[in-house]
Amino acid sequence: MEKATVVVIGGGATGLGILRDLSMRGVKALLVEKNDLVNGASSRYHGLLHSGGRYAVKDQEAARECIIENQIMRKIGKSCVEPCGGMFTRLDIDDPAYEEAWVKGCADSGIEATPITLDEAFRLEPRLSRKHVKSAYLVPDAAVDGFRMSWQLIDSSKRYGGAFKTYTEVIGFDSVNGVLRGVKVRNQFTGEEYEIGCDIAVNAAGGWAGFVGKLAGVEIGVQPDKGTLIAFNQRIVNHVVNRLHKSSDGDIFVPHGSITILGTSSMSIPDPEDTSTSREEVESLLKIGEQTFEDLRDFRILRTFAGSRPLYIPPGGAVGRSASRGFAIVDHERDGLKGFFTIVGGKFTTYRLMAEKMCNQICAKIGNSEPCRTAEEPLVPEVSDEDKARAKKFFPSYGTNLAATRLGAERFKKVVERLESDPESRELVCECENVTRAEVEEICKDDTSFIVNDVRRRTRVGMGTCQGNFCALRAAAVFADMGVESTAKDSLTRMREFLQGRWKGIRPVLLGRTLRETEMTRAIYELSMNVTGGEPK
Amino acid sequence: MRPADLIVIGGGLAGLTAAAVAANRGQKVTLLTYGSGSLPLASGAIDFLNAKAPDAAIKALSAHHPYKKIGFKSIDAAAKFLCDVAAQANLPYVGRLSAQIPVVTAVGTLKYSALVPESMDASRLADKRRIFVAGINGLKDFYASMLVDNLKKYFPDKIFDAVKLDLDLLGGRDITCMDAAQLLTGNEQSLADALKDLNSTDADAIILPPILGLEGNDARTVIKPQIRADIIETTCLPPSPPGIRLQRALIKYLQRSGVRIYENSKVVRGVGDGKKITGVVVEGAVREKIFPARKVILATGGFYSGGIVMRDFDTPREPIFDLPVFFPMGEGNWSNRGLFDNRPQGFSMTGIFTDDKLNPVDENGAVIYDNLHVVGANLGGADFIFERSLGGVAIASAYRAATI
Repeated sequence: MEKATVVVIGGGATGLGILRDLSMRGVKALLVEKNDLVNGASSRYHGLLHSGGRYAVKDQEAARECIIENQIMRKIGKSCVEPCGGMFTRLDIDDPAYEEAWVKGCADSGIEATPITLDEAFRLEPRLSRKHVKSAYLVPDAAVDGFRMSWQLIDSSKRYGGAFKTYTEVIGFDSVNGVLRGVKVRNQFTGEEYEIGCDIAVNAAGGWAGFVGKLAGVEIGVQPDKGTLIAFNQRIVNHVVNRLHKSSDGDIFVPHGSITILGTSSMSIPDPEDTSTSREEVESLLKIGEQTFEDLRDFRILRTFAGSRPLYIPPGGAVGRSASRGFAIVDHERDGLKGFFTIVGGKFTTYRLMAEKMCNQICAKIGNSEPCRTAEEPLVPEVSDEDKARAKKFFPSYGTNLAATRLGAERFKKVVERLESDPESRELVCECENVTRAEVEEICKDDTSFIVNDVRRRTRVGMGTCQGNFCALRAAAVFADMGVESTAKDSLTRMREFLQGRWKGIRPVLLGRTLRETEMTRAIYELSMNVTGGEPK
Repeated sequence: MRPADLIVIGGGLAGLTAAAVAANRGQKVTLLTYGSGSLPLASGAIDFLNAKAPDAAIKALSAHHPYKKIGFKSIDAAAKFLCDVAAQANLPYVGRLSAQIPVVTAVGTLKYSALVPESMDASRLADKRRIFVAGINGLKDFYASMLVDNLKKYFPDKIFDAVKLDLDLLGGRDITCMDAAQLLTGNEQSLADALKDLNSTDADAIILPPILGLEGNDARTVIKPQIRADIIETTCLPPSPPGIRLQRALIKYLQRSGVRIYENSKVVRGVGDGKKITGVVVEGAVREKIFPARKVILATGGFYSGGIVMRDFDTPREPIFDLPVFFPMGEGNWSNRGLFDNRPQGFSMTGIFTDDKLNPVDENGAVIYDNLHVVGANLGGADFIFERSLGGVAIASAYRAATI
């Protein structure tokens, strides 16, 4: 039987953070994830690296944690963080008393909030509403790429012997006399079921933590809380722009590379798998968003998406916006299952701290006295200038840097070698995100690539301006050539599913220039390629 | 400026055809275009309706369909006219409205159209024994092995051979079909030589991406006598050489016929007098310019080309004349769950409604302007992509509007 000291359940930022932390302390750990990595809230969020400003009034402990972790993330995950800074703006309709409380809250939490004049605010953010904005402050918010940070967490864990299995779902637990002995899992592709022996299992399944708890016979107060977001095709803001009011829907704008994400809504839902979005949610976000940016509707929307925050609800606690954004660790020994832990709640910004606290408890239990080192060591080594210079012969410096941050030093080197030796691999599969065929081929070989969407998440093929119009065909063809598909599907089905996946996020925002893109997609694939299809399941 | 007999707004298939038909009838025509039109996106084949016999299927459509307003006489005449214009530019089309011809697509499916450029006519595959599928070194968007995998399903008994030709195009950036077609225009011998090396016979066919030049059938005319196999082009990702060949053929015809073409001319509004449009206003860097006209054809396209726009939900607009835009499926049926579905998409049926002279009408069916005619993808009431009628509706409505 396969064995590990600790089995980590859930491939989101928390689980990956725990895997990395344990591995660095020399604990044999194995992570299992029922889907691809970062398929839940760790990628389905606005990508804001909180300064803590958003929590400065309501939850100063969370605010303090945020500002400390914010500084650490910038240091260890340099290529995942865009240090764009943040701005809080109060509008004429917002309560001025909140501003006072907020300024004090920031000071008390150790968050540097610098008041600026309105002239300065409009200079820094020219699209801000001159009619509505009444005051502005700068804070050390930043943008963080949840995908990239998670891939780097995996790379870092692997260096220290950490192991993982994706598309491996937990289906039960094995215990004797209240002591955990192993975790039962199922391979999602083959259906094979087997047990992984372990001393400790950590339930870090986020919105799914309640389901995992049930399998172990314990009750966990986690409420999946759906947040819907809109991705715009332009960089509308230079900074993260927050509304200076009591946290609410649609009041955060985060710039990421060439796009902007507007979020979020907050809605309790029964099923964390529910990532549906509706036109009503989009309309409501736009309505609020255009209070801060009056010409918001003139920008092209790329797509909308949703994820579930795993809000922790202690017995009798509050739900929704009033629920704490803090996190909780539960040792289920108190429920009669020794060796089983749950970590739930929290937010992406503080995943490292959550992992550290979790691992401290685990290590205490298994008698490991190594200190946590995750705050000191960078996640991945930096790509050398020499390799970048070699790559620049084949693509523009913009693309070189994008690929370098996506791939990390080791894979980047391999991609450069491919580019040098095989001229045809220099073809850009995805012009929007500057992805070469060499990179797609390299990622296809990776141990996380089972279906074409795994490659999409890793390479960003199809995630840019054209939303797959041009690269759907190319990605399906390259994927077929590489022969890595785990499911018996032909290239046409794969291409159709790829485009259908993009359609899911486009459909609720089918207006403005997005309509134009969609008619182009249909003209290419329905008219020129005769791709047809009945209703998807 | 003296008023033109006709001003056509829009340089897509519908606009170019309308201008050509009117010029052919001796009218003084002005064509105002903005952007490249939609032909670079088109496959080159002209679909009339997805049916074994498109003509019969068109006749069986319900009365609200744009084809019914156009009338079958114009549909038939438009097909003949277009083939004639294309032939004049050495771009022969084959086919008729009573049947459909297969075309091999870039992914290896077959698509069926009534009118097909001769170079794409895949009915010639039927009696072949062996089929070469030839990719080009360095050319992207053409994946021979994927194409073979899919095409095999239609022709299980034939021998397929995926090959790669080296035309010495590799070096710098990767190239598209458009780049290759451009490089091979008037310079086709390297391709002919590479094809000769395949040692094909009369019983073979060679399937190529559409790279045989941008000037009609010229490149094919040079290569064909040197190769024993039949050469068949596929469709491709845009920009699409077969669409551009048709665009060039039409523009050549317009130039010869004395049509005044004003490129980069964005029409911002019309000038009207009651039910008559007396001219259109074109945006300028310094000041606006008015083009007076006796008759106007609006061929600015649908959502793709910006002939219909929608900034906010449920409020589609026609931006030049502010004509009423209808979405017959209603707000609740704006789109289907599937991108590719077995029924029309509501948003795509959105457009302008007309009477049988293609004059725009309001919700009561009353004509708004009686010398303004709406053609092509501007028209509402059907999802032309779903029903595969985009090209047919474009040329037939253009023909009808230009002959009123």
